[in-house]
Amino acid sequence: MTSMIKTSNVTKFVTTSEGTLQILRPISFEVKAGESIAIIGASGSGKSTLLGLLAGLDEVSEGEILLDDAPLHTMGEEERAVFRGKNVGFIFQSFMLVQSLTALENVMLPAEIANLPNAKAMAMRILEDVGLAHRAHHFPNQLSGGEQQRVAIARAFITTPKILFADEPTGNLDAKNSEKVEALLFKLNREKGTTLVLVTHDNTLAHHCDRQLIMSAGELTEDSTVTPSPVHEAH
Amino acid sequence: MNTTVNLAWRLFRHEAKRGELTIILLAIILSVSAVLSLSLFSERLQGALKSRSAAFIAADAQLRSGKPLDENWLMKARDLGLNTAQRVSTRSMVFFGDEMALTDLRAVNGNYPLKGSVNVANAPFGAKTPASSLPRKGEAWIQSRLFQSLGVKLGDEIEIGDGVFTVAKVLVDIPDAGFSVFNTEPIVLIRLSDLAATSVTGPGSRANYVSYFTGTFSEINSFHDWLEPQLDSDIHRWQTVEDDESAIGQSVARAERYFLLASLLAIVLAAVSIAVAAQRYSQRHFDPVAIMKTLGATKKTIRAIYLFQVLFITLLGIVIGLLVGFVGQQVVVWGLADRIDVSLSVWHWRPVIISILTGATCALLFSLYPLMQLFSIPPLRVLRRDLGSNLRSRTIQFLAAGGAVFLLMLMYSQDVKISAILFSSGVVLVAGLLVATFILIAVGRKLGAGKIGAWQLAWARIKRRAMDNSVQLISFSITIMLLLVVLVMRNDMIAQWRAQLPEGTPNYFLVNITEDKKDILDSHFSANGIEIEEFYPVVRGRFVAVNNERVNTEVTKEDEPNDERRRGLGREANLTWSNTLQKGNEVVRGTWHGDSAVDTLTAPFPVSVEADVAERLNINLGDKVTFNVGSEVVETQVTSLREVDWQTMQPNFFFVIHPAAMEEFSATYITSFYLPTEEKDKLTNLLQPFASITMFDVDARINQLREIVEQVSVAVEFILVLVLIAGSLVLIAQVQASMDERRQELAILRTLGAKGSLIRQSVIFEFIIIGIVAGFMAALANELSLYMLQTSVFQMTASLHLEYWIIAPVAGAVIVGTLGALGCWRLLTLNTATLLRKMV
Repeated sequence: MTSMIKTSNVTKFVTTSEGTLQILRPISFEVKAGESIAIIGASGSGKSTLLGLLAGLDEVSEGEILLDDAPLHTMGEEERAVFRGKNVGFIFQSFMLVQSLTALENVMLPAEIANLPNAKAMAMRILEDVGLAHRAHHFPNQLSGGEQQRVAIARAFITTPKILFADEPTGNLDAKNSEKVEALLFKLNREKGTTLVLVTHDNTLAHHCDRQLIMSAGELTEDSTVTPSPVHEAH
Repeated sequence: MNTTVNLAWRLFRHEAKRGELTIILLAIILSVSAVLSLSLFSERLQGALKSRSAAFIAADAQLRSGKPLDENWLMKARDLGLNTAQRVSTRSMVFFGDEMALTDLRAVNGNYPLKGSVNVANAPFGAKTPASSLPRKGEAWIQSRLFQSLGVKLGDEIEIGDGVFTVAKVLVDIPDAGFSVFNTEPIVLIRLSDLAATSVTGPGSRANYVSYFTGTFSEINSFHDWLEPQLDSDIHRWQTVEDDESAIGQSVARAERYFLLASLLAIVLAAVSIAVAAQRYSQRHFDPVAIMKTLGATKKTIRAIYLFQVLFITLLGIVIGLLVGFVGQQVVVWGLADRIDVSLSVWHWRPVIISILTGATCALLFSLYPLMQLFSIPPLRVLRRDLGSNLRSRTIQFLAAGGAVFLLMLMYSQDVKISAILFSSGVVLVAGLLVATFILIAVGRKLGAGKIGAWQLAWARIKRRAMDNSVQLISFSITIMLLLVVLVMRNDMIAQWRAQLPEGTPNYFLVNITEDKKDILDSHFSANGIEIEEFYPVVRGRFVAVNNERVNTEVTKEDEPNDERRRGLGREANLTWSNTLQKGNEVVRGTWHGDSAVDTLTAPFPVSVEADVAERLNINLGDKVTFNVGSEVVETQVTSLREVDWQTMQPNFFFVIHPAAMEEFSATYITSFYLPTEEKDKLTNLLQPFASITMFDVDARINQLREIVEQVSVAVEFILVLVLIAGSLVLIAQVQASMDERRQELAILRTLGAKGSLIRQSVIFEFIIIGIVAGFMAALANELSLYMLQTSVFQMTASLHLEYWIIAPVAGAVIVGTLGALGCWRLLTLNTATLLRKMV
């Protein structure tokens, strides 16, 4: 399998009023294409910082990140944005839907930004896949939390990204909805052959992934490969 | 690009439907409609006032000349579409049998007057009616005084030069008669075609040739542009309605400045509301921008999406604003139609263009900084919600907003002075508010300590908001200040207008009263229940030398700024003497001579000279000025220069000499009295015993002036109401702009178990405190701007407005408190679950 993500000595410093703070110690690892990994750790361990760097939302202080062999660490903000639009999908804990757009329009958004043709038809199809075609013209505040996250998943997959980053995707959901969302996420991941990077402190969710990276105090303390536990299929 | 426009349009449509854009849209509508209605109304009103004013010069413009005008000039005027009329006037003796009198002979052609009307009466001092025609060939219309002094009757024949004329009508007044108590001879009106037969305008005569023009503003201007290079300033004088220096002209000019001020303030109010609304809009879009950037949108795409939205909303706002503004002012014009003569048929494009430009400039410039903040939102915000804009400096915002306000003011007023005054007081206000904010925080920290109650919560919020959102506090203060400025200016202006012409202002003047007639006249009038004002002594003297250097050129009419005033400086000046400074006079240089002792053998007598005349004749303080009175020489030395309020209806003098100089001369006196208009018929009886005394009737002039003042006052009040509405809308926009933050705080407080009453009280207290601070700061800035406006722009006497130091904070507390409570009411009645859901 080819390498989809490759980091070497990725480090992050931030400047505060009390001086410079190192929030990520040099981190190196590799993720194969189609692999799913979970980054786990306590609050403040640096997992979200790492996710931000891997996704190109933030700049590394030192080190290198290659996404699908593209050197993310040398790109400027605009280049990274274009790269994200073509290769990366996102799912967030707080769903991050645009409140003034309908479910359908939210799903269309990445396709439109990337100037893909037939955005509407594609969005409608994927909304059917996540079982929300009947809610296409509803606004986010008219949907339940679970429904909003399914819309977000649909939005993440519309451009068939190579890599999907998910930040605590079930963190805001009850058990039942969590299950549904998890199932949907892994199902689409499998079907589309996407590489999944998931940040969570939910061990059950983490164990559905091929690998777990454990973070502590800004350091990668463990990289374990396990046999993923089965995920209930989405209905 | 197409996708971007689609996306922008979709966002715009949904946001508009959801009410997210209501405030910013209202702000643009407000700016456009306020500017359109105010300026359209004021242009129409100014048009109406100008046409009234035009009646006083009998045209829209006059060209005066010391010699006959070139016929080609008149032809050019007609070619350009102007109406023209001509008058030739000169002083001439009129004879009737053995009697003779010096008169002001005016020969006019058939088009005269182009504006206003010639008024006649059936009998001397009778009620006037507008004449439907002019004197026919061989006819003369003469004023009542001439009937009195010549002993002539209607139908009698009088001689003017070589011509003989039949007295056909009693002339009451003509539009451009002018007004002066001195040396004004009774007017005789004849046909221009009859003038040649009189031979009074031969070589050496001092005739005045006046041409009158009416037409549109641009026609008049293009004629003047063509004419100007050919004019000789020694001979010609061009005068338009705008140049009118009379009391009426000044009232109109002052009203115009007020309209301008009110419109400027409306623009500033609108700009403030757009800034507030745009700030809120920007903050609400931090998340969508971060999401779109995360999903791959470049800065360019984000910029395009939001600039298109600004464009959509600006266009919509402008269209609705134009409609609202037009309908609004139309309704008011219809409502006032019976009180103000405002022409509805006249359409002015300038207000429309100005209001569109204002809407566009406000929308673009004031949303620029919030948009820049929006564009700088990092995509990382999707993971770290606390990340805001990278643009932190408020200085840039203040500079950008300040610059934009100043540019708008300048663009609209084209008056650097008025813009600079308003702007600098705004800057002082902002600086003052920043200081007040820091003091408030310090005080608030102390007051906020201890057990948490409504006051403590209110202070705690202010403490945070004052730091985070000082813009809101500042805009409250600016709004209150602008309302105060408009309100106080209106009060002061109307009060000063009315003070010029209080009830009982003398409307008749008597001149040529000899010493022996003074007491008889006084008692005769008293017996008839009429109070005589002060008697002013007058002798006529020739102004002959300055510092022993003879004055070669006489002060000719062409040099002087005003027909009415210059007569006091003809070949002979009217000299008066007094120890006391006359009402409405102010010494601007030197010291008033008072009753200082004068050594008549060695020193010249002190004289006080009117400042404008001194400047024209190049007379300075300390100069020796020589007069010939009869065969005597009077040496004087200038000890003071006075400014004279020419708008007061009382005799004013260019030269006031120390009484010691005049002891030897026998003077005549002038005085004035008030007689109600409806008792005019008493005049004949009153004056019968005093054939040698001449009377001037200024009753009609005073009534006209008063009427105009009343009309302008109504207009000013209308504008005040419009600005008040604009101001209230801005305040509401500001309260609403802070809703999101409040919602979050209320949800947290509710969740933590705070009682509804505690939260309600704390919100109301917060707004009350903000209102008091804003009101206090507004009163301070108001005082400053008013002082500068009144002294520099409106030429009024500056006054302190101490009452507003109490009224403004109280009104601020009440208005801001009420608006705040009303604005938050719905929020305060929501249950905790709803509040929490709205937070997400």
